[in-house]
Parts: sequence; C-alpha cells; structure tokens
Amino acid sequence: MGPLVRIANWPLAWKVPLLAAGLMIGVAVLISQFVLSRLASDQESNLRLLTSAYLDGLSAAVLPAAQRADVWEAFDAIDRARSHYTGVNVRFAILALPNGKVLAASDPLTFPVQSAIPPEVDKRFPPQDGLFIDNKSGRAWLSRTLREEGFPIGRILAEIDISELLRVRRQVLLTLVAVNAALALGFAAIGSFALKRMLEPLSVFSGYMERVREGRADPIPGSKRRGLSREFDRLFDRFNAMARALNEREELASRLAEQEKYAVLGKLASGMAHEVNNPLGGLFNALDTLRRHGDDADVREATLNLLRRGLTHIRNVVRSTLVNYRRGEAQHSARAVDVDDLRLLIEPEASRKTIRLAWVNEIRGPLPVAGESVRQATLNLLINACAATPPGGIVRLQARATDNALVVDVGDQGPGLPEDRAEYLLGRSEERPAVGGGLGLWIVRRLVADEHGEIALVQESGLKTVIRVTWPFRGAPSQNAIVNDRPIEETIHAE
Amino acid sequence: MPPKSTPIRGPEGARIGRRSVIAGGLATILLRPRAPANAAEAVSIGLNPLFLDSDIQLLSMLEAYLVARLGRPVQLVKRRTYQEITAMLLSGQLDAAWVCDDPYVQHEDQFALLAVPLYQHQPLYQTYVIVSEASKAQSFDDIRGSVHAFSDPDSTSGYLVTRYLLALRRTTPEQFFRTFFFTYGHRNVVRAVACGLAESGSMDGYVWDVMRTREPELINGTRVVYRSEELGFPPIVGLKSASDTELAKALSAAFKAMPSDPLGRDILTTLGLDGFTDAGPDLYRGTLEKWLVVKAQA
Repeated sequence: MGPLVRIANWPLAWKVPLLAAGLMIGVAVLISQFVLSRLASDQESNLRLLTSAYLDGLSAAVLPAAQRADVWEAFDAIDRARSHYTGVNVRFAILALPNGKVLAASDPLTFPVQSAIPPEVDKRFPPQDGLFIDNKSGRAWLSRTLREEGFPIGRILAEIDISELLRVRRQVLLTLVAVNAALALGFAAIGSFALKRMLEPLSVFSGYMERVREGRADPIPGSKRRGLSREFDRLFDRFNAMARALNEREELASRLAEQEKYAVLGKLASGMAHEVNNPLGGLFNALDTLRRHGDDADVREATLNLLRRGLTHIRNVVRSTLVNYRRGEAQHSARAVDVDDLRLLIEPEASRKTIRLAWVNEIRGPLPVAGESVRQATLNLLINACAATPPGGIVRLQARATDNALVVDVGDQGPGLPEDRAEYLLGRSEERPAVGGGLGLWIVRRLVADEHGEIALVQESGLKTVIRVTWPFRGAPSQNAIVNDRPIEETIHAE
Repeated sequence: MPPKSTPIRGPEGARIGRRSVIAGGLATILLRPRAPANAAEAVSIGLNPLFLDSDIQLLSMLEAYLVARLGRPVQLVKRRTYQEITAMLLSGQLDAAWVCDDPYVQHEDQFALLAVPLYQHQPLYQTYVIVSEASKAQSFDDIRGSVHAFSDPDSTSGYLVTRYLLALRRTTPEQFFRTFFFTYGHRNVVRAVACGLAESGSMDGYVWDVMRTREPELINGTRVVYRSEELGFPPIVGLKSASDTELAKALSAAFKAMPSDPLGRDILTTLGLDGFTDAGPDLYRGTLEKWLVVKAQA
C-alpha cells in the first residue's frame, strides 16, 4: 500500500507522461508481438513455398537419376539446384536410395556415395515427408519421398539454414523496440511538456490560494491569465470574485470593529464620566467648605486632602483611559498596573449591575508580552463577562505569570458562551457570530493571534464560563498547556 | 560446382550449344527421314562430350567457320553419350562426327577418317587417372577400393584404358572399385573428384591439361596418379560409304584449313589444339589393342 500511496501522491506532471509512456509501451509490446507473430508466420509460409518449389524442382531433376541409380546425374541435379534456388539456403541435400544408402549428396565428403546416412543426421528428419522447423538451432529439415508408379525409389533429405530469417526477425524486433522506445520517450516528453503547460495555471492558482491561507486574498492579475483555457479562465474569475469578497468582508469587519471600538469607548466614556462625576459633587462641596471654612487649618487640611483624593481618582480614571486607547505606539511590557487599571474601567459597569469583581492580580514586575494587547483583549473579555453575568453575580479575573507566559482567566456566571461564539473564539469556525458580541470576540481573537497566544475554555467551580488567554513571553518557545494547575477543557491556537 | 557455361537441356537431355543447333529444328531434323545431301540442306555434324563444357562460344565459332567454308548451313549436334552420337552417325542422321577413338576402332569398317586433331603438334593424347588432391594414392594400384568416376563407357581415356589396366590385373571395375559411376563428360570427372563425390577418375589427359590453364581452381583439387602411353587423338569421321562425296572432302579440307583462317585459329586456340591433319587407321592400333583385350575379357 505504501508505494501505491506514494505513487498516488506523485505530481500529475510525472504521472501523466509516465502513464502515456506506459500505455505506449503496452501498445508497442502488443503491436510488436503481433508484427513478429505475423512475420514469423509469413516467413514460415514463404519458407514452405520456397522449399516446396525447391523440392518440386529437385524431385523432377533427380527422379530419372534415382530410377537409374545414376550417381553423377543425381549429384549434378542437386548441385545445380543449390545455385538455382538461391532463396533456399541449403546446407546439404541428400538423395537416398530406398535401402537408406546415399546415392549422391551435395557434400560428398560428409555423405559419401553408397554410405549409410549417419543416424544423428537421419533422426533430424521426421518420418513423414514435409518441413520441420527448429527456430532454436536456426535449421529446418525437409524431406520428400520420390515415387514411381507408387513405389518409393528414393528420398530427398535437405537441411536448410534459416538463420537469415531469424536474423531478419531479430532485426525487426530490435527495430520495433528502438522505434517504440523512441516513440514512448517522445510521447512522455511531449506529454510532460504539454501537461506542464496545461498545469501552469494550476500552479499560479495554488500560489494565490496559499496567499489566502496566509491572510492575503490578492486577485490573480491579468498578466498571469494570458492564454488560459476556458476552464481555468472561469476558475480564475471565481477565485478573483472570492478574493474580492474576502477583502470586502475584511474591510467591513475592520470598519465594524472600529465602530464597535467607538461604541465601547462611548460606553467607557459614560462610565468614566460617571466616575469623574461621582467625586465632582464631593469636590465642589469641598470647594464650598474651603471657601467658607478655609481659615480653619484642620478643616482646610481635611478639605484639601479630600480634594486631592478626588482629583487623584479622576486623574487615574483619565490616565487609564488614555493608556488603553493610545494607538500606534510601541507596546510596552505588561505590568500589574495594566491589569489593575482595567478594574477602574470595568468597575462602573459592574457597579451599575451590582456585579462583584473577584480580582486576583498576581503579576509581579514587567512581563515580556504586549501590554496594550493584553489590556485591550482582557477589557473586551471583562465587558462581555459583565454583560453576560446577571445582577448580583460575580465576574472573576485572575492574572498570573508562569515560566514563559502570562495567563489571564476571565470567568463569569452568565448563561454560558453560546456555541457559535465559542467555536469562533477557539478558531474552529470562521463564521463570525452576529454583530453585537461578535466584534469583541473578533478583536480578542485577532490580538491573541498576533501575539501567537492561545485561547481556551476551562471549567472552574462557581463560574459558568472561564476564558483563558495565554500570552507567551516574546522570544519564548511555543506554548502548550503551560497552565497546569487547572483542568483544561479545550485548548487551541488562536488564528 | 556448376559448369561455367550455361548449357540448355534438350528434349533428350542432351547438352546443346545455344547458338548452334537449338534453333528449333533439332527434333524435326532427327525425326524426319534423311534425304541425300545437297547444297541447300544443312550439314549435320555430331560432337561428343570430348569438348570442354565451356563451349557455347566455341560451337558458335565452329558453326560460323564451317558455314563459311562449306557455303551451306551447318547444324552442330551434341548428345550426352558417345553412343548416341555414334548411333546417329551410323544411322545416317549425321554427315560427320567428332567421335572418340574407341568408337572409331569399334566401327573402323564403317567409319572413314576425315581429320585428326593435332595436340602439341602430334595427333596423340594420353589417358589420365586422377585422384583428389588430398588423396594418399600415388599409383594406379593405390586407387583400389575407391569410388571411381568414369567419363563414358565408349570413351577410350574415360573408360577403356582403365578397363584395360584392370583386365591386365584380371579384375573388373566392380571388383576393383568400391563403386563407380559415369559422368558423361571429362570435365565432370574433374568435378566429381574435386568435390569428393568420387575418390578417383579416368579422363582425357588433353582435357585435364587444357583445364589446368583455364580452370585452375577446379583442376587444383585433383592430382594425376597414372598417365597412359600416347594414343591416337579422337578423330573426325564420316561414313565410309560417303567418304568420296564432295561434302566429305570439303569437311576434311575445312578442318585441315583452320590454321590458315583467323576464325579457325581462334577455334584452335579455344580448343588448345594446333590444327587438323590426315591420318590412317594405324594411328589407332594402341586403342584397338586395348579394346580387343577388354572385349576378350567380357
């Protein structure tokens, strides 16, 4: 099965010419077989005709000599027949008398007059008159009994050299082999060239498909479409249509993401306004207190402290918003404050829904991961978690560092991540869920993929959904199951 | 080995010169009753296989020469055996014939000598007994038990002399040789011995000598182990009954005049002869004696 599989995996540009050559060889073998068989049959038929003519002529010539047992006449006839029947290559011919003795032979030294035919020669001739061919030895033996009024008066025995016929047969075979081999090679070469030409568009197509896999859906340009067959022309048309659709979809998604970002920003802004507004009342009160009771040092000190705390709170809120949406700058390492800042941002929404935030930030010191991406992705997950968790529920965040990655778990007590969203988040599906929650997930997925991170769903008691994002340290080897203190339900590389 | 010439086999199996007698009339000539010779009728001359086989051109030249000399059409008739030629002459189907000396002595009472060839300026020739070059035989007696090729039963050199030698040894071919056969041509004897069909052969020494220069590759396969004494060369004869006719005289004169004619000289050169001469029956005493000895044994 192994070699067959390997052959099945061969490129078409090899298989088809090989198949063409194989077929040619098959046809050539069949044709050669037929031609040689026909040639052999024709040669045998011609040999039979020639030897028959030779025997007819010789019989007529030696019959009177056989009747009279005339040695010279018999020899003369045999000798002349040899030069007259040049088509029959007679090695020797014997006119034997009925007593088995040689009357005359073409080679008297081997078969002397009146000698008995040597048994080793005699046994070569079949008892019946006729032609016996032995291709192996390249000889044929023919015999004919001479009769006068029904009585045998002698027998002609002749050995024929048919090596010339066999040589012609071999020559034909060699010619057939040479011609057919040349044809097979020629067809294979032409087939290979033609197929290469025919498959060239497929190679172009494959190259552009590969680009799609890498995330670039470039349409095939006109310069690569010259001389295309109708089938490939259609295929390229469809591919280009698909590439355009993909690009449009990508653009739309980007645009929607941008809008979503602004929507989130609006939501955050309102939260931030709320955060800022809360201390503002106190701050104004403090100002009034200061105006009225500013002379009292204790009151002034306490009021100024109140003002400082209020303004500090506002500054923190503004700073964290600025940090979260600072774009185009090189990402700094992730620090504990990057995670803690998120609490400031999500807290207003959590408070609004009376959701309790269970916040465990175990990050110590800067970690070599993209801090901005971590913040943005985690914030999206937190927003989704708050949205999913019913009032009074818990949203949990845990951030910790392993030897080579930052692991951030975001859990909630919502109804659970719908299947389509889970599939999309885990990279098993390219179908983005309906707009609303889909964009947040899309952003998370993209950010994590950019950092070669992983997204997984894990189970944790008391929580319905826990999404675990593993951010590998830059320069660290690929991450796999780097978190082992909790059972992993599903882990997959985000794309 | 096939002969160098391309003879044509006639209805009776005779070997016939293409340009001489095959012109279509041979069968007709032989079958119809013979009328007295006259100026318009072709002169028939029989030739025996004494001639070398490569003789198509020779026959053509001889015919042309005789036609020119006699002023009459000439037909040269060849047969496979001496006996056939002798019989045709005796039966009057031929006007003259070049026969072997053996048939001449057998029918000396009926044949008249018209001309006798001169070989090496003598009307004489020898019988050779030959063996293959590879044979160990060095003398006539060494060929005992061999397969022997005779030329013709009516040939002096190709049969009679050997038969005579065997008679002197009180034996016969059947006893002396393992087997023997006739080739009906001196050149064929050379072929048979050279290719191994026969281990020894009896033949005309004149033919062997001429062939040695003309077909050395064939003759080199053979070696002479016995040479007879010189005997009268095979003559050109006619019937005694017609010896006084103008034709007989003209024929005799024509053969004897060959050295003085360019075409005649070409013919003599081809034949390896010097000319023709008159001779009497005494020239053939040696042949006659041998024939008588053999006849007595039979």
